[in-house]
Amino acid sequence: MSRWPVTGVGAVASVGDDPDEIFRNLCDGRSGIGTLRGFNRDWYNADHLYEVDNRASRGADTVGRASALLAEAIGQALRDAGLPEDLRGIPVLIGTGLRELRSLELWWRDGADFDAARMHFGTALRERFGADDTHTISNACSASLYALALGIDLLECQECDTVVVAGVDVITESMFGLSDRLQLDPPDRLRPFDRDRKGTVMGEGASAVVLRRTPEPGQGAMYGWVRGVGVNCDAFHATAPDPGGIALAIREAHTRAGVKPEDVDLVMVHGTGTPLNDAAEATALADVYGQHISGPLMSGVKSMTGHTSGASGVLSLIVALKAMREQRVPPITGLDHPAPETDGFRLVRGEAVPAPVRLAQVDAFGFGGINAVAVVEAAK
Amino acid sequence: MSTLVTGVGLALPGVRSPEDLLGRIEVSGDAVDPAARIGKKGLKYKDRATQLALCCADEALRDAGLFGADGLSVDGETIAVIVASNYGNVDTVCSVVETIAADGAASGISPMDTPNASSNVIASTLAIKYGLRGPNLMICNGATSGLDAVRWANSLIAAHRADRALVLGVEPDNEIVRRLTGADHVIDGAAAIVLEHPAAAAERGAPGRAVVGASVRTAGVRDCLERLSGPERTVPAAWFGPGADEGLDSAVLGPGTPHHELAGVWGEESAVLGVLQCAGAVGWFAGGGAGPVFALAGRDHDDATAGLALLRPEPV
Repeated sequence: MSRWPVTGVGAVASVGDDPDEIFRNLCDGRSGIGTLRGFNRDWYNADHLYEVDNRASRGADTVGRASALLAEAIGQALRDAGLPEDLRGIPVLIGTGLRELRSLELWWRDGADFDAARMHFGTALRERFGADDTHTISNACSASLYALALGIDLLECQECDTVVVAGVDVITESMFGLSDRLQLDPPDRLRPFDRDRKGTVMGEGASAVVLRRTPEPGQGAMYGWVRGVGVNCDAFHATAPDPGGIALAIREAHTRAGVKPEDVDLVMVHGTGTPLNDAAEATALADVYGQHISGPLMSGVKSMTGHTSGASGVLSLIVALKAMREQRVPPITGLDHPAPETDGFRLVRGEAVPAPVRLAQVDAFGFGGINAVAVVEAAK
Repeated sequence: MSTLVTGVGLALPGVRSPEDLLGRIEVSGDAVDPAARIGKKGLKYKDRATQLALCCADEALRDAGLFGADGLSVDGETIAVIVASNYGNVDTVCSVVETIAADGAASGISPMDTPNASSNVIASTLAIKYGLRGPNLMICNGATSGLDAVRWANSLIAAHRADRALVLGVEPDNEIVRRLTGADHVIDGAAAIVLEHPAAAAERGAPGRAVVGASVRTAGVRDCLERLSGPERTVPAAWFGPGADEGLDSAVLGPGTPHHELAGVWGEESAVLGVLQCAGAVGWFAGGGAGPVFALAGRDHDDATAGLALLRPEPV
């Protein structure tokens, strides 16, 4: 059994500008939701999103926001790991749902300056970090954990000593518009696993981790270990998840990590707040954990960060690592009436709970039934 | 561990077999008609890139002996899908925001576009159509995407995440892509290969048509050829260039090394190029060519150059 040290973390989200601030706000139950900043509010029913508030002025959207958030998260992670901002020869794997498609929209419709080279993130990362082995993996909402799977495979095969795994997404107007078209009564907030959940609300953010083949004493923080990542595809439906496929991905992750359900102390759920996702995820968890379903604490970040799509998997993983370090698990907020399919779950609701966490499972599932599940272990 | 190429699929005007990629290519004016190749069923509401991918994947899976009248011949969990495309869904994204602005509301857009707004729709559609339940990857990585996809397929198989992988590159031709790339025309086609673990191929008696060798990624074409050549200074038996004759002056190449330039033949090939080069290498070996064959995608002005060595398979 192999395990790979996480030696640096970085993140930006609506609830904070770095992992410490994000974790503190999550534990305090603070939400990043706000009224619409990047789009014309007159065109939509929905008026709330979990945006990163970094535009020059309300309604003045600019190109390149996703690349900028990504570079910020990667820069943080490198500094945290004690590494220089020089990524020549170091694989950088970026999971994303929507790439720089928001910039594409601004170019096509509004005449903004943009070109094909900036559709993927390699161009910006070459400019900022000299990176020449960059990979934009557009795997919807499971993208960054899918990237993590590929990253640890590179370490396992001894193809490199260091790998950077990141995730990023800013909200596109096309995806927001399609969501608005479908959500005639848009949710005012995202309520994972609640009986009265009404759907997802999108969020923005970026997350990054530095992984090494071996930990180097004195160089960078040691957050914990990635023990294994399972990835698969439901091959079932373009938008509806399949509990069977999700359960297979969880079992795959456990097998690769060499752990059993009863070993897991914390599950960071995907929990998008859509009726279909949360029911399928809960059904799969109940299936895999069986009589041990009331063992692990269950929490998630999206009630306060929104659904950050490609960034969400690694963001949840960073929160799990912080929870291990601080022995405190942030709550799912707004979970007033847990859905019946979560019967027996030890959900963290209302406020953060103190808890020792040694092993955590992190879930991420995406459009098209693409599933990725990671298992991480505390540094101790 | 070296994976084998055990199948090829091509959905391009003017090409029927991998061997056709080596000679003078007469690009016919007729666009690929997915409905004529695989029937209309399942094509409704699919964007052009996904339609092209579907008919190309069909050919590759059949060619590899993995799919036939009785469906899949192996467990779908053993097959990964890796698709490379940079522009597959830009038409959907741009037309949706255009409609919203014209209407001043989202009420006029079609909910059927929702899956197409996510770039991974092509890869997941292939999985759903054929029941391919292994890892599913969508690579949107610029000029190197096709060869990057081959690298990740190799990596997934080496890590025992799948026994085999359908690797496919596809780009659609439309006004938005042409304006974005500055190209007069875009390939409007797809190329696919099936990569397989040698033991898995041997178990079902599938012959290898090429062997996947070393892959490298560098900041430019010259360095990429140097690294592919390795300390042994291996001279390729043939090579596929990244376009605009870049790399021709490399000291790695012998004076008579055959050069096959597929870049630009169909216009802007983008993510299709790397997979197409692998298909070309299969054609080279089928015609009795020796190895190794080098394939390069991504020119000096791109973010990076990806290179792959393909080796001649052992005679069966």
